[in-house]
Amino acid sequence: MPLNSSVRENGEIIVTSGGRLTIENAAEFSRIVREALEASNVVALEFESEVEIDITGVQIICSGCRSAAAGGKIFTYHGSQPQALTDIITNSGAERHAVCKHNNDSTCIWFGGMK
Amino acid sequence: MMEEAIATYREEASELLAELETSLLDLEETPDDNDLINRVFRAMHTIKGSGAMFGFDEIASFTHEVETVFDMVRNGKMTVTKRLLDLTLKSRDHISYLLSCPLGEAVDRSDGDEIIAGLRQLVPQIELPQKGSTEVPAINLPAVSEDELANESTWRIRFRPASNILMCGTSPISLINELRGLGTAHVVAQFDEIPPLDEIVGENCYIYWDIILTTTRGQDAIKDVFIFVEDDCEIKIELIDKSGLIDKEEGYKKLGDILVERGDLSPVEMQKVLMLQKRFGELLVEQGIVSPEKVQSALIEQQHVKSVRKERSEAPQQEAAASIRVPAERLDQLINLVGEMVTVQAHLSQVSMAGGDATFIAISEEVERLTNELRDTALNIRMLPIGSTFSKFKRLVRDLSSELGKEIEMETFGAETELDKTVIEKLNDPLVHIIRNSIDHGIEMPEARKAAGKTSHGTVYLGAEHSGDSVLVTIRDDGAGLDRDRIRAKAVERGLISATAEVSDREIYAQIFAPGFSTAEKVTSVSGRGVGMDVVKRGIDGLRGSIGVDSTRGSGTTITLKIPLTLAIIDSLLVKIGKDHFVLPLASVEECIELTREDVNNSHGRNLANVRGAIIPYIPLRQHFLMADQRPEIEQIVIADIHGTKVGFVVDHVVGEHQTVIKSLGKMYRDVKGVSGATILGDGTVALILDMGVLLHSIEKLEHAAV
Repeated sequence: MPLNSSVRENGEIIVTSGGRLTIENAAEFSRIVREALEASNVVALEFESEVEIDITGVQIICSGCRSAAAGGKIFTYHGSQPQALTDIITNSGAERHAVCKHNNDSTCIWFGGMK
Repeated sequence: MMEEAIATYREEASELLAELETSLLDLEETPDDNDLINRVFRAMHTIKGSGAMFGFDEIASFTHEVETVFDMVRNGKMTVTKRLLDLTLKSRDHISYLLSCPLGEAVDRSDGDEIIAGLRQLVPQIELPQKGSTEVPAINLPAVSEDELANESTWRIRFRPASNILMCGTSPISLINELRGLGTAHVVAQFDEIPPLDEIVGENCYIYWDIILTTTRGQDAIKDVFIFVEDDCEIKIELIDKSGLIDKEEGYKKLGDILVERGDLSPVEMQKVLMLQKRFGELLVEQGIVSPEKVQSALIEQQHVKSVRKERSEAPQQEAAASIRVPAERLDQLINLVGEMVTVQAHLSQVSMAGGDATFIAISEEVERLTNELRDTALNIRMLPIGSTFSKFKRLVRDLSSELGKEIEMETFGAETELDKTVIEKLNDPLVHIIRNSIDHGIEMPEARKAAGKTSHGTVYLGAEHSGDSVLVTIRDDGAGLDRDRIRAKAVERGLISATAEVSDREIYAQIFAPGFSTAEKVTSVSGRGVGMDVVKRGIDGLRGSIGVDSTRGSGTTITLKIPLTLAIIDSLLVKIGKDHFVLPLASVEECIELTREDVNNSHGRNLANVRGAIIPYIPLRQHFLMADQRPEIEQIVIADIHGTKVGFVVDHVVGEHQTVIKSLGKMYRDVKGVSGATILGDGTVALILDMGVLLHSIEKLEHAAV
């Protein structure tokens, strides 16, 4: 599945990652997540297992999370996290086990906290 | 004090240059070896850093240029090529020249400018990486040396990349991984500047990093990681802990202090919150003064330094000083004193044995044991691995072979073999001449080799191995081999051997060491004047060593140098003529046989002895030294092997093996032939050390003159 979004019957929007969430499609990824959060209260990312992720992808996920929290919406993911995300979290020192003030003082489900 | 530091820098830089040369030559064989690339980079980096510290600005600025290029190699932006290695080897020579120039005086920059211009031509234009290849794999630096370990420091680094860093093709994670390669690092990415989706520019970098790094590599190594991004990025590097400091407490600063130091919290705010008496981090987050991420980052710093300090306090103290640098003169002085001690101890043993007092003998034996240990330890201190000189010869082979248009490589073995420092220094010239000869006369041109069914590239082998109290240094080539007939013809022409004489191959080959002997038809810039091998012989004789030559026409030549381990104390044979003692170096002695008056009469004044069917000439030393006493009825012939020739030396008595502490004769006696030094015996008398090679040579000259 390419990087795209689709609406479920319950109104939830699913954003599929496609093969890469990297600088080449960073603008598109942020636009899709932004539009999804504008259109729905619940947005979920579905990762391809072999997806490539770089720092831009990490930033957009974080930005999406704090935008959703600010608007009282839910930004989550379905299934398990891909290896690429786990790796870049480790390599970049992005692990978060404490609460995040940008996420309404909840733990970060993306970078180390429980979902 | 500054002069001492400068002298130390010069010494250390020279050592680094030698190491650099070795690494570069090795790199030529394995250009992808990251370990070698890093070694070259580190050597350049240390020479530069220390040079700047001691005022060697020319060295620092020149080395910086070379270092920068090798940093690109290190980061995979350039590859190792022959041209790069040529220029870097020339850089090494230029640094060596700069090092020899008096500090503060004008230097000749022409070579340096030429090298830098050459290096700049090699540097590629910085290109954006291919799509999807923004992540460069981490480079793991090699393990640090022992002296670096004593210098462990902990640094707080805040790295705030330029917002367009990702679009420029640089991966911050690669830089962070390089930092990780320097030591132990804790990395915390800070997300507080990531904007909401309606403001974010997807390609920009909003994350910045706090890194706590414990490393032995110093601030320069950290700065080097950021060398290509430092102009655009905000990089703050602060020293927060150092191993040299005495830690009053095993712990570390309070969380609030760290945040204040970092500028994330003002002292006033800290005081205000402290009044509330809750856990400080929680309070800060509750109050919304500091984000949880920043508190987490500070806590990580606190934990990191605490554990580093704990490890340090638990670590054994033995690592403090693994080695120390001692001037060579002090070692020479120590060896001299040990020599005196050995002599006095021999005297003590003699007196105690004569006295017959059991207690006195026991003490004397104890002193003897300790003296022997002291002697061995002192001599060992001066031992150095011979490999330290091998790299010089690799360079010689490389440069000369390309000058002569030959393809030659050098293989070495036994680099770890240890020899006395003085011996190694004195071996240098003979080895240079032998290797130059191998390259010029031994190894053929590529076409000639192919025509002879050999590989186009020749090999010169240089190796060392222990053999009893000597070291065998072997220089072997797979070249054309010596031309026995031409050497013989030339030797006959020069009157060195008789045209009809039955001489062994070994004796014929030994002629190449005669002064001015050369069979070369033309004199090249490398060799052919017949000087080099004479230098070799004199050099090896000066070391009390011997030379062996073996050669097979078409297959190559092997020259073996047998060198004593040390020049200070030798094993010898103590002999007596009349009332006087003499010492013969044991390394050359093969056996002792009796010489009766009857044998002498039977030889009819020809001074020849029949030893198990072999006729061996002998030199009656009593006669040679014009000693007038009466000859004993039975004399002794000490048979020695001198450069492949067996010769006897007739003495009155053989006393036995003796450990000889060599003393040089004064200037007054420097022209005395056949005596290389003296030693003091246990009873205080002096025994002369005989130079058997020179004695033989002088007798031969006398005989030739008589003919």
